[in-house]
Amino acid sequence: VSSSVTRVRSEPVAVIAAGAVTPLGDGLDTFWAALLTGADGISPIERFPVDGLRVRSGGEIKKLRLPPVRPAPECRASQLLIVAVEDVRRRESLDCPPARLAVVVGTALGGVDELDRALREDRRARRAASGLYDSPAQRLAEWIGARGPVVTVSTACASGATAIGMGADLLRADAADLVLAGGYDTLCPFVMRGFDSLRSLTRDRVRPFDRRRSGLLLGEGAGLLLMAREADARGRPVLGRLRGHSSASDGAHVAAPHPEGRGLQLAIRLALAEADASPGDVDFVSAHGTGTPLNDRIETAVLKRALGPRAHEVPVNSIKGALGHTMGAAATLEAIMCLLASRDGVVPQTVGFEEADPECDLDYVPAAARRVRPRLSLSTSLGFGGSNAALVLEGVA
Amino acid sequence: MRGARVAAVGLLTGWGEGTQALPEDARRSAGGRPVVPLRAPARDGERFRRATRECLLGVGAAEALLSAADLSRADVAGDRTALVYTTAAGYGASNRGFIEGRAGALGFPYTAPSAVPAEVAIEFHLTGSYVILIGGAATTIDALWQASVLIGRGAAERALVMAVETFEECADLFLRGRWLVHAPLVEAAACALLVPGDVRPLYRPVGAAAGGDDKVRRRAGETLACGPLIALALALDRGEPLCVTGEWRGRRAALEWPAAQVDTENMGGLEGSPERPGTLGGAPGNPGRPSGH
Repeated sequence: VSSSVTRVRSEPVAVIAAGAVTPLGDGLDTFWAALLTGADGISPIERFPVDGLRVRSGGEIKKLRLPPVRPAPECRASQLLIVAVEDVRRRESLDCPPARLAVVVGTALGGVDELDRALREDRRARRAASGLYDSPAQRLAEWIGARGPVVTVSTACASGATAIGMGADLLRADAADLVLAGGYDTLCPFVMRGFDSLRSLTRDRVRPFDRRRSGLLLGEGAGLLLMAREADARGRPVLGRLRGHSSASDGAHVAAPHPEGRGLQLAIRLALAEADASPGDVDFVSAHGTGTPLNDRIETAVLKRALGPRAHEVPVNSIKGALGHTMGAAATLEAIMCLLASRDGVVPQTVGFEEADPECDLDYVPAAARRVRPRLSLSTSLGFGGSNAALVLEGVA
Repeated sequence: MRGARVAAVGLLTGWGEGTQALPEDARRSAGGRPVVPLRAPARDGERFRRATRECLLGVGAAEALLSAADLSRADVAGDRTALVYTTAAGYGASNRGFIEGRAGALGFPYTAPSAVPAEVAIEFHLTGSYVILIGGAATTIDALWQASVLIGRGAAERALVMAVETFEECADLFLRGRWLVHAPLVEAAACALLVPGDVRPLYRPVGAAAGGDDKVRRRAGETLACGPLIALALALDRGEPLCVTGEWRGRRAALEWPAAQVDTENMGGLEGSPERPGTLGGAPGNPGRPSGH
């Protein structure tokens, strides 16, 4: 990583509220309570046929409670976003001139399930248009009446983090007064067939950083943060602040991380620089932690290089053992987890981690949630296409 | 925060390479064809064995940019170059191929929109900031703005803003959703180089007045996310002030460089040299090199 990297410190952005829908249940409170009890959201997939697949389970949301006020779009990805935004609205109003309300969401898959249907069974023009990757974000904006910038980010499984960062940039540039930023993705035949054919999925449980880890399981969900400029949020209760963010390219391989995690290390360094923070300021790491042999080893090595001795002193967890890998939603759900950990003074355990691996030798929060109140958290994400992202989040006790 | 300016644009379209290949009237020149295709440049060897047509077009656009700017690959390699990629539909062909069983297991990673910038990053050793946005012309305005932000706060010394759009494999779907697009659909790949400058561009993410995007569409046809980059190329050619607009799904965005931006200092390591005089020369109000190829 070049030593010439510099970055101007940027104004922190306030996170006013959050909403989520995950395999652990509807809503932020259910998500958080389940994480703290070590619940497991993995189950046999029931919503579509999986007969031809090696692996037939994942983090599937069994019942999606759509708001009854008006018909929701048919597209499941849009439905996930709508359920998540209604969860946000239960906590905080989106009161803002429509042209000053922005939507920035990340996704690995967009509306691809709709494209699948448009090609196989449904000739309607609307179905074809829903197959575009930015369609669910458009549906979300229509649902809440947002007429500000509507942006879809697709840095694969790092999308949610990049979206949160870009949302902050829109606020700093005064391009919006409120931003809903986050990510989503659905379990669908397309993605199950894809990962199954790559043999990336495990027949065991997901075991992030465990010696026996053998792959990931997919999950679905959506997470949204409601963000505002710090000055505009004064006087309101906030969940925390985004202090820094960065995304970086590996430039090495289309489907695998750089063997030394070059892009992730740069992303961490840039995000810490923007946060005006040093490795010693980091109190907690929410790792990408997919449970694949390669990811977890590389990520551990990067954390040790990027944080130095501090890497061994702070808890590092992964929530993918509980949820599966929710792809475009993952980074946002992890960012939410970081902020809630600060609020409540407890860090969720890494579900599935039981046996230490000599190559993964950090403190992965085994067995049970831990009483610790991080002030500054680092959240890391990686994705196809050599995508890497890092967020630096400051919690509010 | 420092400013950013457009140094050059590389352009490939179904009409040929560069702005000089664009017809005056795309609709008439298309002669009723719904899609004007763009063949990917031929590549030999194992390196590109699995790369999709969109990936190869992305690589071709970056090569066209280097040629337009008279730069070498070494000039842009490394972690000080940001890559901001945008497309509205450039992933459609690979997604369809996978759904319809024409791509094998190893084709799955190429269904991700990130496959295109990934191949570009690998080919040109770009390891800096990395953003991928999905949408049409308004999204490209967002991408150009985002690149200027990355340069402005020092996360990058230069940025490539790239767009690739292909239509041929999904022409029937575009016919179904024709309210979203104009005719003819013209495949394109474009790449702009932004470097530090004196002036920060003015970003208007919504409510911009109708502008040059209609003119670009008249010349080039419907190129979705490539449209604003073609507009930049045309403006650089003509020495006109840089103000680009883009519309997508009812949102019209604009990015404008408000004043002359000739910049002889702080060139981000890309200064003209005796060997390559005038690399970043240009008329007042148009600091970038014309995008003629």
